[in-house]
This record gives sequence, structure tokens and C-alpha cells, in this order.
Amino acid sequence: MITQEKYRSKVKKLLADGSVKMVIGYSPGSTADRRRPLFIRSFEEADQLVLDSNCIANLSGYLVTEGLLSDEKRVAIFLRPEGIRSLNILAAESQLNVDQIIIFGFDSIGREVNSLPGEHADEFSEFIGSIKENPPEKSREPLLYQLEQMNPQERFAFWKEEFSRCIKCYACRQSCPMCYCRRCVVDSNQPQWVNTSSHTLGNFEWNIVRAFHLAGRCVGCGNCDRSCPVNIPLRLINAKMSEEVLGSFNHFAGMSTTQEPVLASFKKEDSETFIL
Amino acid sequence: MAKIGVFICHCGENIASKVDCTKLAAAIGEHPGVAVSVEYKYFCSEPGQESVKKAIRDNNLTGVIIAACSPRMHEATFRKVCAEAGLNPYLCEIANIREQCSWVHTDKDMATEKAMDITRSMIEKVKRNNKLQPIEVPVTRRALVIGGGVAGIQAALDIANAGQEVVLVEREPSLGGHMSQLSETFPTLDCSQCILTPRMVEVAQHPKIRLLTYAEVEHVDGFIGNFKVKIRMKSRYVNRDVCTGCGDCMVKCPVKKISSEFDCGLGKRTAIYTPFAQSVPNIPVIDKASCIYFKNGKCKTCMKSCQINAINFDMQDEFIDLEIGAIVVATGFQIQNTAGYGEYGYGKYPDVITGLQFERLATASGPTSGKILRPSDGKEPETVVFIQCAGSRDPSKGVRYCSKICCMYTAKHAMLYAHKVHHGKSHVFYMDIRAAGKGYDEFTRRTIEEDDASYVRGRVSKVWLENGKLMVRGVDTLLGRPVTIPADMVVLATAMVPQPNAIEFAKTIGIAYDEYGYYNEAHLKLRPVESSSAGIFLAGACQSPKDIPDSIAQASASASKVLALFSKETLEREPVVASTNEATCAGCWGCVLACPYNAIEQKDILDRSGRIIKSVASVNPGLCQGCGTCVTFCRSNSIDLAGFTEKQIFAEMMAL
Repeated sequence: MITQEKYRSKVKKLLADGSVKMVIGYSPGSTADRRRPLFIRSFEEADQLVLDSNCIANLSGYLVTEGLLSDEKRVAIFLRPEGIRSLNILAAESQLNVDQIIIFGFDSIGREVNSLPGEHADEFSEFIGSIKENPPEKSREPLLYQLEQMNPQERFAFWKEEFSRCIKCYACRQSCPMCYCRRCVVDSNQPQWVNTSSHTLGNFEWNIVRAFHLAGRCVGCGNCDRSCPVNIPLRLINAKMSEEVLGSFNHFAGMSTTQEPVLASFKKEDSETFIL
Repeated sequence: MAKIGVFICHCGENIASKVDCTKLAAAIGEHPGVAVSVEYKYFCSEPGQESVKKAIRDNNLTGVIIAACSPRMHEATFRKVCAEAGLNPYLCEIANIREQCSWVHTDKDMATEKAMDITRSMIEKVKRNNKLQPIEVPVTRRALVIGGGVAGIQAALDIANAGQEVVLVEREPSLGGHMSQLSETFPTLDCSQCILTPRMVEVAQHPKIRLLTYAEVEHVDGFIGNFKVKIRMKSRYVNRDVCTGCGDCMVKCPVKKISSEFDCGLGKRTAIYTPFAQSVPNIPVIDKASCIYFKNGKCKTCMKSCQINAINFDMQDEFIDLEIGAIVVATGFQIQNTAGYGEYGYGKYPDVITGLQFERLATASGPTSGKILRPSDGKEPETVVFIQCAGSRDPSKGVRYCSKICCMYTAKHAMLYAHKVHHGKSHVFYMDIRAAGKGYDEFTRRTIEEDDASYVRGRVSKVWLENGKLMVRGVDTLLGRPVTIPADMVVLATAMVPQPNAIEFAKTIGIAYDEYGYYNEAHLKLRPVESSSAGIFLAGACQSPKDIPDSIAQASASASKVLALFSKETLEREPVVASTNEATCAGCWGCVLACPYNAIEQKDILDRSGRIIKSVASVNPGLCQGCGTCVTFCRSNSIDLAGFTEKQIFAEMMAL
């Protein structure tokens, strides 16, 4: 709780001296172990700030809210390592000016919360590099191993079953920091590439499109997975895609604010096994 | 209201034997929007083309489908037909019912059904086609020839003699390539140097040719008619503008025992050197790796000997930017490293040599002044064994293909050996004698019949040294028995392989290559000198193993393609270009990076007071090549490609 108190006063100081116009953090949620996003503009709001191990949502997507950064004023935000990586991608994809963002980096082991040193995105590059080299043990899903053991028919059946629950609410898209397009491909209806109704075909189309759009961009923050009201294990798809991209192109999403998108950049050493 | 004309071609029996064209025409006639649905034996014939024109005029057709062969074959033909009949050519589409249907199916009923699907799908597309106008782009009338071997020399001279500018880039210090290393050339036995050197000099003196030796292509950007090329001029450490080629520096250089690359290791050279006496330009280079000064900072003997101060040890690589309209790639070949054939003893026994080394021994300008002498002791070999296909046609250790030239040069070697060593005896182990070419078979017969070469049909399993003799163990398959021949010298006909960096270079300039690293032609039969990229042509052995006549023929063919391109001031380009939707573009700039032609730029959208509201991607139609890479990349579907719009493709798919 010391960390939380420290941040409350730090936030007040930043607001008071005008360094930032807003701080994006966490406040208590509807139950004891849930947290909801908090947008702090005043001292009163700063007093609601919570920082503990239950603060797991990746808040970086709020930074690209239309108009938030257009006045060129600065915003501070609480981010876990995955959040910093997605911030890097947003910067690399020209969605925000990273100099406007002050990062309060944190991580947690068990119930304990640690601050990460640094404020500017560039200061975390080395730290993110170390995550790439030594990924935390817990990070690989046991279910992934099971999926890999299946043959294509079994895997298809697995996902058909999972996707059959999809109600096309697009909560995954709404919560994902990478889904910032002004108009999503599913909302384009001339032509209507992706069926909007929630039958098997449309559900497959949507989820496969999303998987490809996140290839080389997903940082595994888990926002989509947690926001899914019907509990489709979306994290599995994206985690597998991340592994493929890392294995094939040595691309670890969100390494820096200047990282080139893996599917748009070409290197001579890229393997070309798929080109005839 | 759409009025589509569908013209179903039998292509003789090619389509009609597997697709019931009458049934197809009747079924398609029922499809909504189809005004005409007819079949004919050959629509590409003159009466066929005329009937299409007549149908367009008589029925005021709004779109045309030719259900026939691949669009790569005849799309251009039928678009022209439409244009002549007054219909915008981009309202014509090809339904490929030959390559993608009749040729690949055996069941006539199912093939007919599939042909219906393919045709319907194209009808739905053409209903949504727009009238497009061709885009005109200027052509830079300057050609770049990459490689100064005989193919590059020929291409450069042909283009320059037609009055167009040429830049010839050669990475070695001198022009000449492999041909300058050869002794006499088959089948006429004229001296290689004697016929090549005058052409090298002609290149150097030609007012239309800019010769850049000891230079490499660093980077290629742009597209047909408008390439931007960066050339690295490697530092020679000798000022090419001042040097007179007197050769004093080479005489004085204290490092004299470097194995000469030009002589394939059979001769020596100095650290400051020209590859051979007739080098063009006759300007030496300093081999940095061997030069004493570069090793320990002392020497500069050459600099002291130079009377005009042409030597500069501080010289740096320089870069030249060129605007180029067309490129001829003539980067040549290498011979395969024979080290993999341990059983033949190459590298272990000095008297086992490659065919190229034999060339150096046989040439008057070579290290032995044209005498056939053994590298080990300098004696004349009494018996020479030639082993053909030492690498070629050997899927297990070498390459699968035939290197094409070895049968001929081995026959030539045996002949030259007979002419130079009258009492000598030669044996040639061969798999087949492949001597197809003008005067070629006569030449090999002459070697066998007049010059007494003994040809043994079979492979060699092993070469070993016994009592000072190289024992060659092989099989005579015609007699069905093993043979062992004691020899004084063994010559291996090593395989021709692509240059070691061929694939890397192909990626630099953006052309396709095959599994070996040879550059792919656009069509093996119909477009053998065009590469896969428009405006880049191929000449010589970089495409496949070739002898001198073939290389020269292809070089001249490439030159004629370049000249055809340069015959007009502007180039008419297909209007198949991308455009962006500014309202939905998210400005992630992935397309800018993905575009291989740098055709997409950032465009700021301003409000009335000049403030940037947002930045979006914008395509420059002059640069866009219509490849569609950006379309597939764009996550928000904010890019569309004229002629292949999403609506068209969606309709095509939905018709299936």
C-alpha cells in the first residue's frame, strides 16, 4: 500500500504543477478484487487511485481516444510491461506522440506491486528486451500444448465449439488497444466481407480476421480474453500467433517506439519458405 | 442495365475436349445480364476477333468475357479488340477455362460445371468493372548493364550503337568475365582473347557507354522506365583519371606471390595488380588484404614508383546515383567448388585440375605460355584423363542440371592437347555426348576420329596416386567392365553454378530466381529474356548455363527489348493502381512500409485555418504498380485497387 500512497501524492503533484492534464489509472471496482479505469483530473479523483495486484487491465487503449492528445498536453498512465509494449506499438504505428505520455510502470509478483524505473517509453526498451530473452515461466498456457497435440480436424472442432458461443458483441475489439481503426473491417459493408450475424461462418470470419490483424502486434495483455462475456479463450489464438511471428521473423511485439510492423516490413534474411 | 457478351473459345480441342462448350454457352446465356453467349473454335483467330467486334457493336455490349486461355496469354489481345470496337478495354475480362479447367480435369461433366462457375464469376466481376484510362509515365533513356562479361559487353554495345546511353557496371577491376580466361573457343578454335579484347576496348572508348569497373550495384529503386540505382565505386587506391597504366607499380611491388584468381591459382600476381595484361581499363587496383602497407602501415613502394602520383592510400568507396530506364542483368556464373568430390582428389593432388585451369594452361597468355605442363613438376603429361559431369547431372552431390558447355570444352581440351603434345594420349569419361549446336557434333567427332581421343562411356569412381601416376578407376559401360587408366593429369569438367551471391543480388534488384539461384525468365518459351520484373532483362549464364554464342544471342535480344522500350518518350502503363479512402484511413503507415515501390506517401488533411486534422495515406498513381500489397495489409480496408476492387472480387467470389 506504500506504493499506492506514493503514487497518489505523485499524481497530485503532477496535476498541481500542470505537468499533465490527466492521469489514467485504476479505482475500486464492483467487487473487492475487481478494478475499473480511473481518469484523474482533480485531487478528489486522485484519492480514489488504487494500485495493487488486481490492477490487471491494459489501459493503453484509452490514450488513443479521439481528441485526447490533440491539444499536445501530457497524460500520465499506469502500465504493466505489456501495456508499455502496446504503447510502443501505438507510437510505432503513429497513433500517438510518445513524448506526451508519462509512464508509471509497474508489475506484480503475487500480491506485491513493484514500480518499474523510467518515465518515457524509450527508457523501458532494455527492460522489454530482457522479457523477450527470458520470458516469465508462467507465460505459456497449458491449453496451448493440448491444442498443438490435436490434428487439424480436432482443432477445428475445438474452435467451432468455442466460437459457437460468440455473440458478436465486439467487446474484444473494444478492449484491445490495437483496435483503434476509425472504421473496423467488420463494419465495412460495401462489400460485407465479414458476416455480422453470429452464426458459425460469421464467427469464424471475425475471429480469424482479428487473429491476423493482431499477428506481430498482440502483447498478450489479456484484455480481450477477460472482456469476453462468453469466455472464449481468445488469448490462445493470439499467444500462438505471437510465437509464430517470433519464431519466423524474430519479431517481439512492442520492443520500441520505432519497431517496424512485421507484416509490412521486408528483410533480406526473412525466410521465404512460403514463396514458390 | 448490363449487356454482357460472353465468347467461349474451344481453343481447338484444348478446351472443347473436356468442356462441353455448347452446354456452357447455353447455360451462360441464361445468366442475368448476359446479352450474347456464343462459342467458336478459335476466338484469337482473325475471324474470331472480328466476330467479337461485331457483337460489341451490334449489341452495344457493356462488358465482354472471353472464356478461353490464361489472361497472361491473350488478355492484351482481346482488350485491344474491345478498344477497336469502341468499348473501354478495361471492360473486358478473361475467364480462364483452359489452364484452370480443361487442362487439369478429366471428367467432362464436372469440368463443364466448373467452367460455368468460372465464367459466371467473371461475369459478376465485369458488371462492376469501371472504365479505366491508361497512365503515361516518362522513360529515362539510359540503360544499366550489370556485368562486364561477354554478355554484358554485347548488350552494352548493341544499345550504345543504337544511340542510347549505357552505364556498364563490372565488379572486377577489368571487363572480360570468364571469356577472357579461355584459350581457344569451340567449335572454330579462334583465340578467345583475340575476339574479345577488341570488344572490351570498344566498350571503353564508346562515347555512349559509361564504364564503371570495380563497382557494384548497391541498391535499386523505382520501376520500368524510372529506376533509381545506387552504385558503389570500390576504392581502387589508384586514381583512375590519372593512371596511365605504365605498370611500374606492379614491377616494384614486393608482394609477388599471391595466387592469381585470373589464372585459377596456377599463376602469381602482385598486391597492386591488373587481373591480366589486356585488362580494360588498364588501371591496377591494390588488393587490401595482401598489401604490406595495409597490413602494417609501412611500404608504399608502389606510391614511390609512380611518377604521376596516381596512388592514394586514403581513397574511400564512393557512391554514384543514377537514373535508369532499363536494366540488363548479365552477372554470369561461377564454377562449382570441386572440393566435394574427394574421390577425384582435387586439392589433394596438384595434377587434378578443373577445366577452367586447363584453359589457363592452354592459353598463350597463361602462366605456362600455352604449354600443357603439370602444375606439380612442370613436365608435359603423356596421358591425360578428362572426367565429364564432375558435378553436373549428379543429384546426389552436385547439381541436377546439365551444364551444357562441358561436352564441348572437354572435346576442345582433348583436341588442344593433341595439337600441343603430339605423342600424348587422352581419355574422356562421359555419360552422354551432348553436342547440339551448329558445328558442335562435327567438332566432337573430329576430336575422337582425327585427334585420337579415346572416349569411355562411364563414370569414374576414384582417383589415387600410385608410383607417381594418377590412377583413374572407372567403368566402361559399353564393354561392361571396369577400367583403370594410369594418367599424368586429370581434368574435371566442373559444373556451372550461379554466382555465390546470386540470390542476395536478386533480392537487391527485385527479380525472381529458381531453386539453384539462376534468374527466372518471365516465360521460359515466349519471354526468355525478360525477368519477372518489368524493365529488367537477362543476358548470359546468370539465367542458365550457356555457351558464348547463346550468351551473345540473349544479350542482343535483351538489347533489342531495351531499345524497344526506349523507342518512345513515354510509357503507357496499366491503370491498375491503388487509391486510399481518406475517411477511414487510420494513419498507421503500414502501407507506406509495405509498398515495394515507395508509391504511398503521407498526406495531411487541414482545416480552414491550416491546422492538421489528421494525416492519411495517399497513393502516387505514377509510381504505383498495382501489386496490391498495400490492399492486403490495410486492416481497416481503406485501400482499393482499380480493376480489382473489393466489390469486384467479392462479387466474383459470391458467384461461385
